[in-house]
Amino acid sequence: MQLATEAARKWWLWGLLAVLLCSSSCAIHFRRPTTTVEALRISEVVSEGDAARRASNRLVVKGLDADSQQQSDRALGIYEEALRVDATNPYAYLAIARHHVDGDDPTWALSFVDKAGSLFRADGGVSPRVEPHLVGLRGQALYASGQIDAGLPLLEQAWTVAPDVWADGQLSASELR
Amino acid sequence: MAARKKKAASKKAASKKKGAKKKPARRKAPARRRGWIRPLGRVAAVAAVVVGFWASSWVLEQDRIVRAKFEGRRFSVPSRVLSSPTVLYPGLDWKRIELPETLGRLGYREDSGSGELPSGRYRWGRGRLRVHLRAFDHPSRQEPSRDVGIRLAGNFIDSIVELPGQGEVGMVVLEPELVGAYYGPEEREQRDLVRLDELPRHLSDAVLAVEDQRFESHHGVDFRRILGAFLANVRAGGIRQGASTLTQQLVKNFFLTPEQTLQRKFTEAVMALLVEARYDKEAILESYLNEIYLGQRGSTEVHGVGEASRFYFGKRAQDLSVSESALIAAIVQSPNRLSPHRHPDRALDRRNLVLGLMLEQGRITRAEHDKAHEETIRVASVTPEVGESRYFLDVLRRQLPEVYDRDVLAAEGLEIYSTLDPRLQRAAVRALLRGLERIEAKYPALREEDPQRRLQGCLIAMRPQTGEVLALAGGRSYGDSQFDRCTQARRQAGSTFKPFVYIAGLEPRDGTPAITTASLLDDAPLEVDTNQGVWKPRNYDHEFRGPVTVRHALEGSLNIPVIRLGMEIGVDRVVDVARRLGVTSDLPRVPSLALGTAALAPIEVARAYATIANGGIRPQPHTFEDVVARGETLERRKLRFERVLDAGVAYLATSLLEGVVDRGTGRRVRSMGIEGPVAGKTGTTDDEYDLWFVGFTPELVAVVWVGFDEPRTIGVQSSWGALPIWVDFVKDAYGKRVRGLFSAPPSVRELEINPETGAVAMAGCPVRANEVFLRGTEPTRICDWQNTDGEPDEGSSGRRPQRGGSFWDRIFGR
Repeated sequence: MQLATEAARKWWLWGLLAVLLCSSSCAIHFRRPTTTVEALRISEVVSEGDAARRASNRLVVKGLDADSQQQSDRALGIYEEALRVDATNPYAYLAIARHHVDGDDPTWALSFVDKAGSLFRADGGVSPRVEPHLVGLRGQALYASGQIDAGLPLLEQAWTVAPDVWADGQLSASELR
Repeated sequence: MAARKKKAASKKAASKKKGAKKKPARRKAPARRRGWIRPLGRVAAVAAVVVGFWASSWVLEQDRIVRAKFEGRRFSVPSRVLSSPTVLYPGLDWKRIELPETLGRLGYREDSGSGELPSGRYRWGRGRLRVHLRAFDHPSRQEPSRDVGIRLAGNFIDSIVELPGQGEVGMVVLEPELVGAYYGPEEREQRDLVRLDELPRHLSDAVLAVEDQRFESHHGVDFRRILGAFLANVRAGGIRQGASTLTQQLVKNFFLTPEQTLQRKFTEAVMALLVEARYDKEAILESYLNEIYLGQRGSTEVHGVGEASRFYFGKRAQDLSVSESALIAAIVQSPNRLSPHRHPDRALDRRNLVLGLMLEQGRITRAEHDKAHEETIRVASVTPEVGESRYFLDVLRRQLPEVYDRDVLAAEGLEIYSTLDPRLQRAAVRALLRGLERIEAKYPALREEDPQRRLQGCLIAMRPQTGEVLALAGGRSYGDSQFDRCTQARRQAGSTFKPFVYIAGLEPRDGTPAITTASLLDDAPLEVDTNQGVWKPRNYDHEFRGPVTVRHALEGSLNIPVIRLGMEIGVDRVVDVARRLGVTSDLPRVPSLALGTAALAPIEVARAYATIANGGIRPQPHTFEDVVARGETLERRKLRFERVLDAGVAYLATSLLEGVVDRGTGRRVRSMGIEGPVAGKTGTTDDEYDLWFVGFTPELVAVVWVGFDEPRTIGVQSSWGALPIWVDFVKDAYGKRVRGLFSAPPSVRELEINPETGAVAMAGCPVRANEVFLRGTEPTRICDWQNTDGEPDEGSSGRRPQRGGSFWDRIFGR
């Protein structure tokens, strides 16, 4: 009888331990991400990639400078030149999306966000530092084009992950630069 | 009133008295004589009035002409089309982009000296190239003049530094090249308008010194010079010297014909006087410097000092030296006889004469004279007319908004920044011509002497991401036929249409696609009831293979499986896909559409494949970026595109088309030496009237079509007709190794299958290959590896099968 009680206590202890372990690991696994990231700036990647990509990114940075100085047409011309040097440069599409989201027809930005996203994924995946830009720009484009219900959650998501840039719900040229 | 009458009467009387005092009484003429003089006088008076009236109205008419020409638009300036600028950056293959030739075409001149390098010159050193880049304005940038050193490592640019500080620069941009110009129907004059206040003083001085040294003081006609010339000509016994002033020359060029008649000379003098009366000397001189004929570039006339500066020295007129200005002034007299390109000695003698006159007239100092006199004549290489781009120019004109009609383009001097890449354009033209000649050499029966009946072809290259048309060769020779086969011809698409059918099948409808890349389609005899009777389609080789995978069917360009698929999913779905990809031509809703019986333009095919290459995002093919008039941007094309196909489906199609190039009907791409990511599709119509090859890399899509304008059998397969032209073009443009990567989007999963059955390959499966699927559509059937009966023939499946090796390999799947 004593032996049986001893065994039951052991099993009970082991069971309790297992439940504790399981619940803590589940809690770790399923907890909401609260860590933030420093959103990527394109000037950080101008020395990455092959020669064409580097040159193309330098042009993107120049375009962002032009955008910062409100030289809209000039900026767009430079982004397109960046695509001429490297048509598969996702950062160029990202910059064009940012440019359009402030323009007359923000929905145009969506296809550029989409394109940038596919190219990032094709290049080896979307980095966590780029993700908020893709999500935020999509949200901003949807919001600006009147699809508030679709846009707000995305903006909120971008803001949660990269509050340093997305706290105001928009991405300026200098923030992307 | 009465007082006024009285005053008038007394005035009359006074005048009578006065006359009586002054003139003695005349002897009365006989009555008969008096009778005819008076009528004659009247006739003379009337004639004088009529002549005076006529002369006045004639002068007024000349004045009207002068005013209309001077105050309206003075010159018709053909609009220029420019290429996209060339960006130089470290890592770029400078030989591949033909850097020295590009500099030459842009008018840069090699400099062999040392020390300071003037703008527009370049100098080779050991392992480095120094270029003094010119400043230029572009709609998206203003590039300053920069002296840069380009360090070279083999074929590549190692670094670029700005001189003299040696600061490293990431990139530099060369100005756009001239692609061509739009001329009016009757004139082929090219000029680059300049303002007098922009020009160096020594340029106008040089022209005045030799053409009209008293320009500042005469009034349009120099009577002193006429007298001098008259005496000189009398002494010489013939016309040796002219006396036309600069104003008269301008009038002659502006308003009159070149005929040598007294009437024309008289009109010229009157008009010259009118011009001088109405306009100041600066305006006249500026018009003259923009109007004067200064040489010939092929069939195009070079007019004005601005254009001549670019033509002879590859630089702006503002940057001309004293010696160069004197040379331009020297050739005014007879630009072809004194051409520095063809007769440098004559040009040098005449230039020295001009320099002497400038010194004599005090327009330059002795030191300036001596320095300029010492300079040898160094002219830029003649930029050939870019006849090879004429088809492209026609397409561009049609794409411009209607407001830019032929008249506007021929006269308004617009600058149109195009998408053309001159290097790719030359490669396209070369590849097309070489390819057609190769076919004719191999099959002499195809050779036709009549240029209108010759074997033709076209090549169009596009950047899939943006839709920029990079090169377009619409036929063998624009001179022989202006019909552009890339954009104006509609020809049966043949097997190049088949991928659209497979895409329609791969695209999920209601969550499920009709097929996957590994689905089996039946390649067995088929009979289709049509309005014309029973249709019994066959494969190209008249063989039937039984069940084949989708991949195998497309790689081998089999007809029966694609017809079956088209009929199964319905022709409407096929048409819908083709439309979304960018096909706009009529598509007959019949089963044979799956075989490409629809007639499409190569540019449509290029757009549709560009959409696949671009991951399902459809670009808008375009040929220009900006239209600029005197520094103001009139039109700016905005980059636009639209997702029309799921990225995963586009990737599956790309993967299937990679298979066509790696193992299928397009495998000659590989055997001819192209490496790297390439996808493509051959197309030969049933009757062999049309040969196609569409190929794309991650950065370029190019379509080649070969055929006769009046359809007739060629008797060659596209892999021997159109494909080699594509390979030749890509090799010339990019080399053997193409850049980039086709990467799968997250919605695509790669899985090992048995390529003969389409079942998932497990350990021990005798034949295995990787295949791509949309997530959720992977096959569920497992490869039955124990069933080794009827071991499949490797050749029947083009996919590289990996056969199971030893027992342990089969067990553990190594």
